[in-house]
Amino acid sequence: MIAEWRWIRADLRARRTQVALTVLAVAGIVAALVTAATLLEEGTNPWRGLFTRGHGAHVWIHTKDTPDTAALRSLGADLAGPYGSAPATLTGNGRKVPVALQEAPATPPEIATPLLTEGRWLDRSDPDGVVVERSFAQALGLRPGSPFTVTGLSGATHALFVKGVAESGDQGFYPEWTPGLAWTLRETLTRVEPAPGRREHVTGLRLADPGDTTLVVQRAVTVLAGQVQRVSTWREARASMELDNRLLGLLLALFGGAGLVGAALALANATGGRVLGQLRDLATLKSLGFTGPQISRMLLAEHGLLGLLGIAGGLTAGHLITIAALRVPPSPAQLGAIALGTILTVLVAVWLPAWRGGRTTPIPATPALPPHGRLSRLARLALLVRLPPALVLGTRDAFTRRVPAALTSVGLAIPMMMITIGLGCWATLDDFTKNPERVGQAAALVVRPGEMTAGEAERRAAADPDVAAVYPGVELDALVPWQTRTVRTRALGTSATPYPFHVVEGRMFRERYEAVAGQGLLDLLSVRVGDRVRLTVGGTPLIVHIVGRVLEPEQDGEVLSLGLDTLAAKDAVPPHFYSLVLRDGADPGEVRARLLARDLEVALAVNPADRLAVIRVIIVALVVVLALIGLANLLTASALGLRDHVRDLAVLQAMGLTPRQVMATLVTGTGLLAVLGVLAGAAAGALLSTALIDLEGHGSGMGAGIGRAPAPAALAAAVLIAVGAALLVALIPARRAARARVPVTAG
Amino acid sequence: MTVLTTHNLVRIYQNGGVPVPAVRGVDFTVEAGEFVAIMGPSGSGKSTLVHMLGGLDVRTSGEIWLDGKRVDTLSESAWAVLRRRKIGFVFQFYNLVTNMSVADNVELPALLAGMSPRESRERREYLLAELGLTERAYAAPAELSGGEQQRVALARALANGPRLLLADEPTGNLDSRNTRDVLRLLGEVHGQGQTIVVVTHDAKVASKADRVVTLSDGMIVDDASMRRRRRPPGSAGDVVELRG
Repeated sequence: MIAEWRWIRADLRARRTQVALTVLAVAGIVAALVTAATLLEEGTNPWRGLFTRGHGAHVWIHTKDTPDTAALRSLGADLAGPYGSAPATLTGNGRKVPVALQEAPATPPEIATPLLTEGRWLDRSDPDGVVVERSFAQALGLRPGSPFTVTGLSGATHALFVKGVAESGDQGFYPEWTPGLAWTLRETLTRVEPAPGRREHVTGLRLADPGDTTLVVQRAVTVLAGQVQRVSTWREARASMELDNRLLGLLLALFGGAGLVGAALALANATGGRVLGQLRDLATLKSLGFTGPQISRMLLAEHGLLGLLGIAGGLTAGHLITIAALRVPPSPAQLGAIALGTILTVLVAVWLPAWRGGRTTPIPATPALPPHGRLSRLARLALLVRLPPALVLGTRDAFTRRVPAALTSVGLAIPMMMITIGLGCWATLDDFTKNPERVGQAAALVVRPGEMTAGEAERRAAADPDVAAVYPGVELDALVPWQTRTVRTRALGTSATPYPFHVVEGRMFRERYEAVAGQGLLDLLSVRVGDRVRLTVGGTPLIVHIVGRVLEPEQDGEVLSLGLDTLAAKDAVPPHFYSLVLRDGADPGEVRARLLARDLEVALAVNPADRLAVIRVIIVALVVVLALIGLANLLTASALGLRDHVRDLAVLQAMGLTPRQVMATLVTGTGLLAVLGVLAGAAAGALLSTALIDLEGHGSGMGAGIGRAPAPAALAAAVLIAVGAALLVALIPARRAARARVPVTAG
Repeated sequence: MTVLTTHNLVRIYQNGGVPVPAVRGVDFTVEAGEFVAIMGPSGSGKSTLVHMLGGLDVRTSGEIWLDGKRVDTLSESAWAVLRRRKIGFVFQFYNLVTNMSVADNVELPALLAGMSPRESRERREYLLAELGLTERAYAAPAELSGGEQQRVALARALANGPRLLLADEPTGNLDSRNTRDVLRLLGEVHGQGQTIVVVTHDAKVASKADRVVTLSDGMIVDDASMRRRRRPPGSAGDVVELRG
């Protein structure tokens, strides 16, 4: 053991820079993975971040009177409040929206802190100011300075205004969670609702262990004996914020896989290169009495240790980065999964070269020499077409050691393939944004009639010059035989004038009792395009013929779409909403503002690409890491190439090749492999990316047909940059070698 | 007492399916404390023979006995363990472990043989002092001259107190002054009772040996004891011997 450690220590000391680079590369990949996972989690489930940043309360108890705080504290919880709360109605623009006003102190509280995103917090000098919860403010188009006129239960109207907008993890997003929330000072609350009998009190409990929630709720209800009116917990808040989007999860898995492959390549390359470079030393160790398994163990320990150090560093860095950038620590489950995945990858990546090192022959007198002689077919071809001698020699050199040559090409092809797949994802996202109608989002805006009649709302919406078409729609839950759950049925447009769904398989519905469905629904019911399904909508049995498959971004694709005229009149009239298709080039934001001014309730469709925007950051980060891995692979290849040919070089120089020709020989030797690898990787990536993204689309329920190949210009640029960088990397050592004077007899 | 015996030792390499015999039925014995030189032209199988004796290469057929035990049937790992305790190797190109200091190179076999770090350090200090390399203990191998490197290699081969010291052309890469130094050291070690088998081209090396075994085409063609030619120093025989 001591002898092994002595050797490991000496080897690590002898190559400090390389050691640092290896550790950094692994740490970089792990940190990128941790950050990516946390970013994606923030995108899909913002609750954890909001709750952590705001020190949220796990349980909220609504009581008629002020609760016994001492009794609640005795449950082992920190308290927020009790705060007074009163229902009110927000009026303005002809709308009446229920709102819950909740008391808040003038300095933001320690527990259940609303996180200000815009404007300012409440101030005693400005008692008319309120702070509005962000999702509520967004839905109503409220910004700091907007009027916030509320009517209390007494009927009195108070002209307040929005002072700030804040986020909170203590209740779900509007409109999934109603009523909307606004924080006011106590005096403002008392002014709006002077009668104590109409107010209630809310108290937040922050628990040391969230797992105790159910128990604490039961005990609180017992302790407060009959005072409790309502209890909400963090689980409900979290559930209402979760975007049930499997596409994100699948994409994360894809990128996670890419990252792990990257880490494996970086390590296998570093270890493999090192082992190949010290075969003679390993042979000497064997002649001194090291056994093969002992050498394998030693190499595994040394290189595995570097990998583990990198992983530890990466996890720490990822932790710090996410805390600094997102103010949320990564979730322990994710950290655990990433740590486990990378440790396994490291062990596998290091094991093969270590095993190979252990099998070295124990005769150190025969250093690893490349096989000499035979010109490869490619080199013979190069001679036939009368290429310059440097190129021919370089071509020969490229393939003298076939296995390392293949490894070099593959080592570059894999990062390049991953980069191309990344570019494909980018192109797909671009396509989502540019052509939302192709992902099933032809309508940019959805209008709900709200207080006015459906006909009036349709008339007002259609009057806007930028609105090209208005499709009445109804969404209902349908019961499907043999299923314990309901599926979403969306009637939009009529059979004669159907909504422009993007049909990727089969055709659009043209008649009554025809329908189109998302991939998720087809999978759920195990049916195919052309089948008939029986379902019950609003108590009415219905048999529809599925004539096509559409790209369905909502509800994991578990949506059946049909014409309004297919539904019974009682379900279809009046329409619940109108989907507005805008003219080309119209700005949905502007149209929405104009329609809002006409007292309509208008919501912007959420483009899947907006939810996936964070993936672009990850793509860029991954491309950088992959490019670095590719370069590292190339450096090893180039160093090995040089080692193999150093004696040949002396002979070449002696034969009269100029330093420039020697350099060209060396650059051709490495560059040819690099070009082959880059081209193969780009081709494989371009072929795979569309299929892979479609596979992800299929798995997520949205359906195949979303994948786009990388933009030809982007791909061409990536290939050119990769080849250029590869040649440059090959050039530097070649230049140095060509100028060095190598004695022909060097042993 | 016999340290090493071989019976009908054969080594045949395969070169593109064609068998190429390197060693063809070697029978020979080395007694304890004996200094044997193996000579012969290039390609006569000298290096192959000495590699087989140390378990670096495997025999095709025949037997090798070391210290009364048959060792040719050992696995590669068992050979490695045997080398730790009983065999020291010196190579033509020194083969110091490049990333370790001189001190580490010399201590490594001692540590492998199971000595404690303190014992191996003391052994290393003793050996390096004997070879005049004390002040180079913490240098990297690349900083040493060829002669110094070979002296370190010799110290390393002796670190575990081997029963048998095998050397493959130990002076093949050295100038005459360094050759003389290394030979003097080999002589001294031999004087202390070390059993040595050395493969060489060099008549000067052979002149130090008790016995010279000559190989040709993988077979022993001559096995001559040199002891009878030893004369007291300063006599006319010295001149004759040097010229021979």
